[in-house]
Amino acid sequence: MNVDVLEDERHHRFVLNMGPQHPSTHGVLRVLLELEGEYAMSLQPVLGYGHRCHEKIAEYKPAKSFMPNTARMDYLGALIYNHGYAQLLEKATGIEAPQRAEYIRVITSELNRIQSHLLWYGAYLLDLGAFTPIMYSFDDREHILDILEDVTGSRLTYCYYRVGGVCRDIDDKFIAGTRQFIDRLRSRFPMYEDLVNGNVILQNRLNGIGDLTPQTCARYGVTGPLLRGTGVAYDMRRAEPYSVYPEFDFEIPTETKGDCMASFLVRFREMEQSLRIIEQALDRLPEGPIMAAKVPKKLKIPAGDYNSSVEAPRGELSYYLVADGSDTPYRLKVRTPSYSNLSVVSEQCAGMLLSDVVSAMGSLDLVIPEIDR
Amino acid sequence: MDVKNVVQQWQNMATSVEEVDYSVSGYDYSVCLEGEKLSAFAGLMLNEGFYLVDLMAVHVEPAIEVVYQFAHFKTRCRVMARAFVDGKGEIPTISDIYQGANWHERETRDFHGVVFTGHPNLEPLILAEEDVDLKPLLKDEKKLKGVAAVRRVQPEPEAAKPEAVKSPEQS
Repeated sequence: MNVDVLEDERHHRFVLNMGPQHPSTHGVLRVLLELEGEYAMSLQPVLGYGHRCHEKIAEYKPAKSFMPNTARMDYLGALIYNHGYAQLLEKATGIEAPQRAEYIRVITSELNRIQSHLLWYGAYLLDLGAFTPIMYSFDDREHILDILEDVTGSRLTYCYYRVGGVCRDIDDKFIAGTRQFIDRLRSRFPMYEDLVNGNVILQNRLNGIGDLTPQTCARYGVTGPLLRGTGVAYDMRRAEPYSVYPEFDFEIPTETKGDCMASFLVRFREMEQSLRIIEQALDRLPEGPIMAAKVPKKLKIPAGDYNSSVEAPRGELSYYLVADGSDTPYRLKVRTPSYSNLSVVSEQCAGMLLSDVVSAMGSLDLVIPEIDR
Repeated sequence: MDVKNVVQQWQNMATSVEEVDYSVSGYDYSVCLEGEKLSAFAGLMLNEGFYLVDLMAVHVEPAIEVVYQFAHFKTRCRVMARAFVDGKGEIPTISDIYQGANWHERETRDFHGVVFTGHPNLEPLILAEEDVDLKPLLKDEKKLKGVAAVRRVQPEPEAAKPEAVKSPEQS
């Protein structure tokens, strides 16, 4: 902890360096806080500690082989990052994934989303000083990792989708395991409600903290559960429907207050909606191939620019590809949700109590590697 | 938001407004602008309820192109606005209108060396301070292409078709 006393009439104001190695930043994020007593008067995030030049790498290898890199940007929503990228190249080259593959993508993506929300749930409460809930949410999360490991071969940084489909079919064991998990998680929700959501300490820590409005969200490009907590039902799965999402019946949970409690409740209720999607997809899972019949080995992308947006656990993920007709992207830009979501904290947290800054930053559900890329 | 009305207003300030096929490109409109019109354009977009999705640069000949991506919370209308930097590599900032652009512009300064005039704090964001002149995403001469090489080639218009009336799907 570096404490730097300012030598002027504001001598009671000092700069506190939070991070880059700080448990509540969930990764190598550094935040420069200017404190007056316990109040954070200004707050400046410092990025780049985990920058790995993903966009530069993309310009140096065939577009298809960039798939594993996508998973390493957001390690909690890896399959959804796969999904956005596969879809981008499919759009650009006119390849269509078969129906069964799209269903498998939706099922595994939604499992991935629940897994991300469960980790956020435990870690957020841990930030706020509640140690027990992470034990329960990790227990549930392990089941998803086991299910996904069986079919994808990895537990975190998946590379399961391909241009034109998925690389392995799901089997009866996967289906039975997933159904079992749905029942299990549903039976746990009341326990979470009793243990955590109604807790008066949590209420006091989250209610009225970190107000966001739809206008602020528009100015900063804030999306995802934070935006839905301000009453805007904006979810890429509905706003710009992709894959087979239009075929399913699910709701977009919203709250109106825009504070930490609102995004907390939105995320919590999203898990149930994801379960509903998985359930319907399993019921209607079509038979058939899991890969498009003809995917050229060397994938030439016609000149032009292409955009593909999907709903990641933290908000809108967009890939923007500029192609020059070869099989290597001329430029690939990844718009990651946490980047825009974090940029709002300077405005959102100015003048807050330090303990509330932790509440507000935790409610952003930050994944630093996707910010730094 | 009335899309037709907004498109009309874009046409008043842009050099070209093009409707794009969403099913292929994943966005709806492509708007080309002069650098000095950017502020007015961003102000209009904010008034109409658009949010800033992303801001990036593409290094092409004759100049670096800065691409602004906007979308709308209520209506599906995804817009790519493009502007070339001027001879000195400068372009006006929009971070006074869309505060979210602040970081994107700093990142673009890091990667491409584009200078956003009027930006409050154009310090390195993603790269370290000593790498301020690295500009890693600039293309070397061998890889640099002209802007025409990365534009979509329009398919030949099917003039041979006898019926001139557009089907409802096309309109």
